[in-house]
Amino acid sequence: MASNKRKLWALTLSLLLIAGLLAACGGGSGSGSGNSKGSSGGGQSSGSGEKPVELIFAMPNTGTPMNDLELVQEEINKIALQKINATVKFTLIDWAAWNQQINLVLAGNEQLDLLVTSAYMNYSSMVAKNQLIPLDDLLQQYGQGIMEAMDPVFYEGTRINGKIYGVSSFRELVADYGFNARKDLLDKHQIDLSQVKSFEDLEPIFQLIKEKEPGMIPLVQRNTSNTVVNDMIASRVDNLGDGMGVLMLDDNNTTVVNLYETPQYREAVELARKWYNAGYIASDAATSQEGYVALMKAGKGFGYFSNMKPGFEAQETGLIGYEIEGVRLTPAVGGSSGPVAFMISIPSNSKHPEKAMQFMNLLYTDADIMNLLTLGIEGKHYVKTDNGQVRVPDGVESSGYVFNQWLIGNNSLTYVWEGWDPNQWENLKAFNRNAVYSPALGFLFDANKVKTEVAAVSNVISEYKAGLESGAVDPNVLPKFIEDLKKAGIDTIIAEKQRQLDEFLAANQ
Amino acid sequence: MNQSRWRKFRKRVVRHRMLILMALPGLAYLVINNYLPMLGVTIAFKEIDYSRKGLFNLLFGHEWIGFKNFEYLFRTDDAYTITRNTILYNGLFIVLNTVVAIAVAIVLNEIRSRFMSRLYQSLILLPYLISMVIVGYLALSMLNVENGFMNKIILPLLGIDPVSWYSEPAYWPYILTFVNLWKNVGYLCIIYLAAIVGINHEYYEAAVIDGASKWQQITRITVPLIAPTITIMMLLAVGRIFYSDFGLFYQVPLNSGALKPTTDVIDTYVYRGLMTLGDIGMSSAAGLYQSAVGFVLILLSNWLVRRRSRDQALF
Repeated sequence: MASNKRKLWALTLSLLLIAGLLAACGGGSGSGSGNSKGSSGGGQSSGSGEKPVELIFAMPNTGTPMNDLELVQEEINKIALQKINATVKFTLIDWAAWNQQINLVLAGNEQLDLLVTSAYMNYSSMVAKNQLIPLDDLLQQYGQGIMEAMDPVFYEGTRINGKIYGVSSFRELVADYGFNARKDLLDKHQIDLSQVKSFEDLEPIFQLIKEKEPGMIPLVQRNTSNTVVNDMIASRVDNLGDGMGVLMLDDNNTTVVNLYETPQYREAVELARKWYNAGYIASDAATSQEGYVALMKAGKGFGYFSNMKPGFEAQETGLIGYEIEGVRLTPAVGGSSGPVAFMISIPSNSKHPEKAMQFMNLLYTDADIMNLLTLGIEGKHYVKTDNGQVRVPDGVESSGYVFNQWLIGNNSLTYVWEGWDPNQWENLKAFNRNAVYSPALGFLFDANKVKTEVAAVSNVISEYKAGLESGAVDPNVLPKFIEDLKKAGIDTIIAEKQRQLDEFLAANQ
Repeated sequence: MNQSRWRKFRKRVVRHRMLILMALPGLAYLVINNYLPMLGVTIAFKEIDYSRKGLFNLLFGHEWIGFKNFEYLFRTDDAYTITRNTILYNGLFIVLNTVVAIAVAIVLNEIRSRFMSRLYQSLILLPYLISMVIVGYLALSMLNVENGFMNKIILPLLGIDPVSWYSEPAYWPYILTFVNLWKNVGYLCIIYLAAIVGINHEYYEAAVIDGASKWQQITRITVPLIAPTITIMMLLAVGRIFYSDFGLFYQVPLNSGALKPTTDVIDTYVYRGLMTLGDIGMSSAAGLYQSAVGFVLILLSNWLVRRRSRDQALF
């Protein structure tokens, strides 16, 4: 009898242990989603008696201070609760870890109701894998405000296979490219940027800076993806998503070509090499982990190439801390991926897609919510000036909340920062409307059929691109680069892309 | 006959019930954490469709596509480079780390001052605790083209022209081997030191009486007595020969494309290839390939060890 009892005890104990283990495992995956009680059992309609729904909204952390996000979230939720009977919980994920973390969340069953998507962050493959839900019906039902507030290109331009999977944030969909430099140095050496008409014209300026300002880098490369060469040719190329097979906009046709084989690419690479050899570009540009903002801030750089837009100089001056003057060297051009560069989508993980769309609708129509989200709390993160613009409150050295305004929603509802053109948003709308767009606008490449080739070609590109495009590597390797690309199967990718593009063009006649 | 065996089995279960119960939590842990996820190997042969959720769908739902997910690994000339690099580097690391770790362990064991011995042990272990990202920046401070310690101080002293380290693949086999040794030797050394400390002192006393030199003591007593530890450590390392230290091969060369001929290994190739695709089928394929080769290698080396000495084999 006694031994029986002991046995029972031992059994109970070990069962308890196992149960504990199982619970621990289950808990691990559950707690990551930040699920709170409020989110379970929420109703679908916003009847006043229903329990409010908590929406999880994942967005990338772009490195700006966001310490006060919770305070902002609280304020937003006061409005959202009242208007759509829902609250939102923002989850910040580091830019660098974004793809991986989102992949994990979407592959699992974690709740996620809204997320920022981008052609640069696997948008089309998410759609191909059914990780996002089509928004067409939801937009009709709960997103009328979005359709009224935005130019159609912001939501029509994101279609894949005829369905809308994301709504673009309000921002410039096009870009002109140019050179930006520190105004104090321009003045000191009496350089007149308005005389510069092409990238080649900059050479004597670089030389002057190299001679007169020893230790300073005349041309800072933005980073190893936005290379010197990339910024020089970007306005002539629609890279059709991944840059493996592109449209040359000068050619004015819809033939997909290999960018790396074009004479335009070769010229740009040779120019970069010339500048690199002359010491205008930093010798470690190909591997440097430091972005241009850090280098410019530290006073080590004179200027840099960049994509631009109305008000760009003001934005950069704020970012860098030196006054920046710019010159635009190309017309404003919109590639196929303009609208899909930054969007909000609803993942198939969402438990409340209707509510998610209602909240999305607020982001495009509700000025209070947008001001909170992009500027922070009035009085704490910004104050209004007499002419209706905003500035950082007196005595605030470093704000606890700086949001990247172009990231989500309809920014044209928000106040404009002091120092910017008061008509910033109108200018931006005009900039978008007057630009030249790629004939492939709205086209998104689905790489699923040529995955094997994409993996191989990605590897080849990662071997050569950064070196060639910063001038660190002699352009003599270009033929070898092209040969390796062909071996890895770039022609297969180009053929597939051409096929999809032709289909897309035929469908959108 | 059969029934009597069953009865015997039941008798043994009853007799050892407490031991079995004690083993249960561990077994459950093993099953949950190591065996259940193995069902996931099927992912490597499938086209994953995320609209279908749940374990059942994972196992039976998605479309089978055979070995298509594996293709990219073998498609280009890179397949040869990355396999060669992976095996040669890891092979070299296994041998070199073991030899140096044992040497250091023996030397540490000879230090009489307890304080100094502990101090050296800690100092030598320190690099093991540093993240590879930081190690990458330490290496950068040495190798930076313009301000690096090597180009600014060492090479001018020797009268050699500055070297553009991050675009010259030829130097990297040495750099990576050195960094790996510097980082990992401390940890291995502690394991061997523990084995050496456990050796009975009477052996050495007897050897001294017989007039054995220090070198003879090391080769005839220390090394043979820690041989089982060496074998196990080596066998475990061989099983992972197809996995490389991703941090070492990605962070330390700063992802410099020009260095790929000598720094690209399977893990970095897979990472670079799938960064844009984010395809779990293809990454599972790479993982399965690596563990399958590791499995074969570990069986093979275990078999070799067994032929020499049964006791030292893992199984």
